[in-house]
Amino acid sequence: MYEEPYRWVEAVGNRRQYLDDQFKQGSPVVALTYEGGILLTTVSKGTPKLYEIYDRLALGGMGHPTDLEKLRFSLLEMAHVEGFSRSPSDVTGSRLVKYGIAPVIKQAFEEVYKAPFIVRILVAELGSKPEKDALLTINYDGTFEEATGCATLAATPTVQTKMLSYLKEQMRATQSLDQALDLALRAWAIGSLAHQEEEADQQTEAKPSANGGADSSTSATPSRDSLMAHVRKVAGERTIECAVLERQAPGSSKYRSLKQADLSQLLPKMFQSGVAN
Amino acid sequence: MGMQGDFYQLLKEQGYQLGSSVAAGHGQEMTNATTILAFKYRDGVLVAGDRRATAGNMVMYDRTDKVLEIDRHSVMAIAGVPATAYEMVRILEHSFKYYRRTQLQELSFDGKLRSVSKLLKENVPAALAGTGAVVPVFAGYDMEQGSAKIYFYDILGAEFEGVEYAVSGSGSPTIRGILHYLNTWGEQPLNALPQEQAIVQALRLLTSAAEFDSATGGVNREASLYPVVKLITEAGVQTVPDATLKPLYESQVVRYV
Repeated sequence: MYEEPYRWVEAVGNRRQYLDDQFKQGSPVVALTYEGGILLTTVSKGTPKLYEIYDRLALGGMGHPTDLEKLRFSLLEMAHVEGFSRSPSDVTGSRLVKYGIAPVIKQAFEEVYKAPFIVRILVAELGSKPEKDALLTINYDGTFEEATGCATLAATPTVQTKMLSYLKEQMRATQSLDQALDLALRAWAIGSLAHQEEEADQQTEAKPSANGGADSSTSATPSRDSLMAHVRKVAGERTIECAVLERQAPGSSKYRSLKQADLSQLLPKMFQSGVAN
Repeated sequence: MGMQGDFYQLLKEQGYQLGSSVAAGHGQEMTNATTILAFKYRDGVLVAGDRRATAGNMVMYDRTDKVLEIDRHSVMAIAGVPATAYEMVRILEHSFKYYRRTQLQELSFDGKLRSVSKLLKENVPAALAGTGAVVPVFAGYDMEQGSAKIYFYDILGAEFEGVEYAVSGSGSPTIRGILHYLNTWGEQPLNALPQEQAIVQALRLLTSAAEFDSATGGVNREASLYPVVKLITEAGVQTVPDATLKPLYESQVVRYV
């Protein structure tokens, strides 16, 4: 029945609705550049969401763990075969994304008889120079965007926009790793809170007063303290996950995931005391 | 697919073949011959090699690097046909990275040894045909056991553990005896040598090999050409810079000049 064009469009529309629902429980991912490279941050519930792909490539994801695994493997395969048969400098994020996995994701999304990939993906690429650092995001339908400076993954486009505008407003021209981490966590909290609000609004949508409430909640940016308090609250039951691509790291692999010890050194003071309590 | 994490298998699935078993043509001289050595010293393991590549009585190149870092804690020193040896090193380097990145854990030291054997076994036809024999020494720091290890291989891929030292290449018979002598009756056994003394011994050994083997390159001071010396400790692989080798060579290796 999907042979009829109208039905197909309808089916794809249904897919979007279905997929949008799948990210409700997801945790946002933040990537931003700092003076020594690129930082990726998220708060995960056990399964890691940040991965090393190649010498200068890192991956962050949202969605179904098995789908993310599948795509992670195809990225790893493509990157390593290319790096071996040509050279490591020929392995670039934009080639892997544009000609590698984006078409696969798009095809799975449009083949309405088959299961789509329930994923949103962020690929960070450390350039030879800071100007060449690149951040790419891919949506579940295969659309991709390239950004510099900062990029995010979030449950809905509205939340993503909020996080990005917060990041752009707060980012300095150059920032150290601890400053970047501090900002990334606050941006994560913006995303997480905005998402909670959206959920709450949807639940109270039936009530007539819901619209007024939504307007007032979107207008003000929460204070620094309240954002950190939110991270602190959530971090109690989940894990803060951080990884960096460091330009000055020795050897060819520039990816390093930050261990608990690294984090406790980098995290803002007020946050540490919160953890201790 | 997910559990394997085997990069070489992946390459083969894509139609890759390591070496071809074409017999060497008559009068066709292959580049080979060399001296490489590895021994355990106080802090870990030292691996060194001369820098000459020859084909018959021709010197092809005097700046070859035969001691190659495969990852942060392992090094392969190569003797034999460079074309195959370099290719093997590239495969291993990618294999270990691929394993670590897919499986989210480091390949064990034993796993790394198996990968080397496997490649050598695959290469047997080329080795026997005379176009691709490689006889490497593999050394590294086993992080799980907290100890340095040395292994050497024959061209068929049999793996032997060199308890204190291992040598390979055309110049190796000369220094094998010296290593045995030093380790047994020297002032202190090799594995007690401090770093600087270990480097000095490596330079002396390679100089001795070059004395008796025309296919091993010695130190060429006019061209500032020193052997490649790498140290592997718990902290990782470290290449000893020429700036360190030069004064040690001049003060403790050269005599009567």
